[in-house]
Amino acid sequence: MESERELVEHAQAGDTGAFDALVSLYSKRVLSIAWGIVRNAIDAEELAQEAFVKAYQNIARFRSGEPFGPWIFRITTNLALDVLKHRRRVKHEELTEREPAMRRDRADLPAIANEIARRIGGAIDELPEMQRVVAQLHLIEQFEHREIASMTGLSEGTVRSHLSLARAKLREKLADLYGDGDD
Amino acid sequence: MTDETFFSRVRVDAAPLRYEPDPFAMARIRAGVRERILRPTVAQLLARWFRPIAATLGIIAIAAGISIATIDSNDNGSMGDSSVEIVMAGDSYSVGQ
Repeated sequence: MESERELVEHAQAGDTGAFDALVSLYSKRVLSIAWGIVRNAIDAEELAQEAFVKAYQNIARFRSGEPFGPWIFRITTNLALDVLKHRRRVKHEELTEREPAMRRDRADLPAIANEIARRIGGAIDELPEMQRVVAQLHLIEQFEHREIASMTGLSEGTVRSHLSLARAKLREKLADLYGDGDD
Repeated sequence: MTDETFFSRVRVDAAPLRYEPDPFAMARIRAGVRERILRPTVAQLLARWFRPIAATLGIIAIAAGISIATIDSNDNGSMGDSSVEIVMAGDSYSVGQ
């Protein structure tokens, strides 16, 4: 099996099969990031496609030897943030319902774990937009501050600041779950 | 509980919130990407249309060039052939077309 580096090099040489293999490797994560930001399954799927097409069109500029993941995640995040900007412009947010209800309970987890997750998801959904995006990337997609900064184009300080504000609000909303006496 | 502990615990508890797409979503994305990267660009489409037209025009131009050259050489040859020699009072005159 070809390594990721080889796949990228072959894709740069015009091998669409190699690029297809990269799509297979990253499509699930890309879709998850896109959905986390735009909160709509159809938009997220279109966005994931668009991100991969954009990556393919610019693959010649991609520095060989670097990991493909952060690059495709950055493209995805930028496209998703553009969707949010566009929605803000056309007041789409009121028309397109976010999809917290689309989250299905994990059958392999106890009901209490699903309930806690639902509470956390609801609290994150209520955060202001950029706090929500950054919190989503940090808490659910498990990215670190530096990675989030690179993906969103924000400075690391701004990411920390968004997370700090988000944390204060989440602590308040989830106080009954994570109260001080709960330690 | 410190801020860091709080976030660490939320991160663990939030794991089920990761998006689980339907089983066909990946296949749709792959197919869509494949279709779009294999689809010819506008420049390629134009090139496809113009290449045979340019080739045809080239052939016509070459054929026209050859025809004109042939006619010219025929004309030059016939001028020599069609000259008439007239002899008058012991002098001969050549009259061409």
